[in-house]
Amino acid sequence: MADAEQKKNIRRTTMIVVAIAVAFYLGFIMLGVLRS
Amino acid sequence: MTTAVADAHDSHDEHGPAKGIGRWLFSTNHKDIGTMYLVFSLTMFFIGGAMAMVIRSELAIPGLQFVHPEFFNSMTTMHALIMVFGAVMPAFVGLANWMIPLMIGAPDMALPRMNNWSFWILPVAFGILLSTLFMPGGAPASGWTMYPPLVLQTGDAFPFLIFSVHLMGISSIMGAINVIVTIINMRAPEMTLLRMPMFVWTWLITAYLLIAVMPVLAGAVTMLLTDQFFGTSFFLAAGGGDPVMFQHIFWFFGHPEVYIMILPAFGVVSEIIPTFARKKLFGHDSMVYAAASIAFLSFIVWAHHMFTVGMPLTGQMFFMFATMLIAVPTGVKVFNWVATMWRGSMTFETPMLFSLAFVFLFTIGGFSGLMLAIAPADIQYHDTYFVVAHFHYVLVPGSVFAIMAGAYYWLPKWTGHMYNEKLGKLHFWTSTIFVNLTFFPMHFLGLAGMPRRIPDYSTQFTDFNTIASIGAIGFGLSQLLFVGVILSAWKGSKATDRVWEGSHGLEWTVPSPAPYHTWETPPKARVAGEAFD
Repeated sequence: MADAEQKKNIRRTTMIVVAIAVAFYLGFIMLGVLRS
Repeated sequence: MTTAVADAHDSHDEHGPAKGIGRWLFSTNHKDIGTMYLVFSLTMFFIGGAMAMVIRSELAIPGLQFVHPEFFNSMTTMHALIMVFGAVMPAFVGLANWMIPLMIGAPDMALPRMNNWSFWILPVAFGILLSTLFMPGGAPASGWTMYPPLVLQTGDAFPFLIFSVHLMGISSIMGAINVIVTIINMRAPEMTLLRMPMFVWTWLITAYLLIAVMPVLAGAVTMLLTDQFFGTSFFLAAGGGDPVMFQHIFWFFGHPEVYIMILPAFGVVSEIIPTFARKKLFGHDSMVYAAASIAFLSFIVWAHHMFTVGMPLTGQMFFMFATMLIAVPTGVKVFNWVATMWRGSMTFETPMLFSLAFVFLFTIGGFSGLMLAIAPADIQYHDTYFVVAHFHYVLVPGSVFAIMAGAYYWLPKWTGHMYNEKLGKLHFWTSTIFVNLTFFPMHFLGLAGMPRRIPDYSTQFTDFNTIASIGAIGFGLSQLLFVGVILSAWKGSKATDRVWEGSHGLEWTVPSPAPYHTWETPPKARVAGEAFD
């Protein structure tokens, strides 16, 4: 796999997992806001 | 060099590690970072263990002996936080750092600088947490579950507790991101997903669990912080909030957390048993599906920790049966380990002994978990020493024994020398005897009604408590042997590249000790293919 392509894939996977983590963090705080 | 790590490792090809403290402070090398995680974990294991000694000394006989009850509560709280976040989790991250790139044919982790950060955040987090022992009002004493409103009565330590938990979470999330990105993008060309070793598979699944649940814990403690300092009422009944909601959120994190601490243990044991049985792992693919099933189910069972809080009957039924369902994929794993050993040509070196003890004793912890899953019975068991016995069986002869097994198994690959086998076996037998002496009587104490998290008890509980305390002190002292074993590996005989007769996989094709840089060129397909199989 070419360097550039692998770097792109690494960046993309990183962004996806970071987005999942942020969604869980903010999502559960939103749940708290809506419930309280 | 063919990967994104080239940026961080340019021009390192021809030389080894940097000299002095800088090597460790600024390292982006997965082996150095793995070593730091493992050393940090062992240090925390002894600090958390010292707290366990305080707890068991106080409980050796009835009455108040050595510590104030408030300090006793701080010890139970700090012991749990340190062992969960400071000892067990970092130990598995250390093993992952060392072994995943070696096992999948990658030159390093995909995000080496973030790897350095995720480690160095940890000493800061635990420095902050331990500093609370010296603060007015003492260290946190609300239990590791941090339930409000009790936790909001913590003294000056409260914001430090919240900050340190946030830092631990950030570190874990960054570690998990690195594991996922590395495994998804940096495997050797012929290393398809289903050809990955079980340790890599279990870590991939664990990393997804971490990504999903550590932010939930962070969200929960953020809300605690705003309730305490910014006038919100997420969990304060007086302001219209709901303290039970904290318990739901905490255990949505807390139950998968249990699997975060046990899935990599499954992976370690799944590497070791085939090596010493000299057979391929029985049912590799079914092991993968079982691990994934366990991970999925771990998200839908959290309220079994809260049966006594009160919930509709349908809720109790759902959480009870969903919890029991976990026994199915776990049973698949235990069956596969036994089937791997069946008619194998087995030998019993220290890693194998720890793995066998893991299979047997973790299963005991699993069975007591099934008992706790029964909602009507849990009303009786809840908050008793039966629960303490259950989770210590899962975490000590479960997770900790698997970490020990992994350390013994890979130590010759890390150091290039064989450890002292006699000392290793002595460590195993003393640990196994004392761990049972410590935790088995707790089942009886719990069934007889002794509550957990108390510094004193009625005299009818004396005998089993005394036995448990003797066992705990014996177990604690036994762990000093482990330090001796590690030191012995510096002077032991030279390890071969393959180390163990029955070893298999890419990590055993590199020299012992593993060179500072490995797989700068991905392993050749043919060779890799043979190693995989």
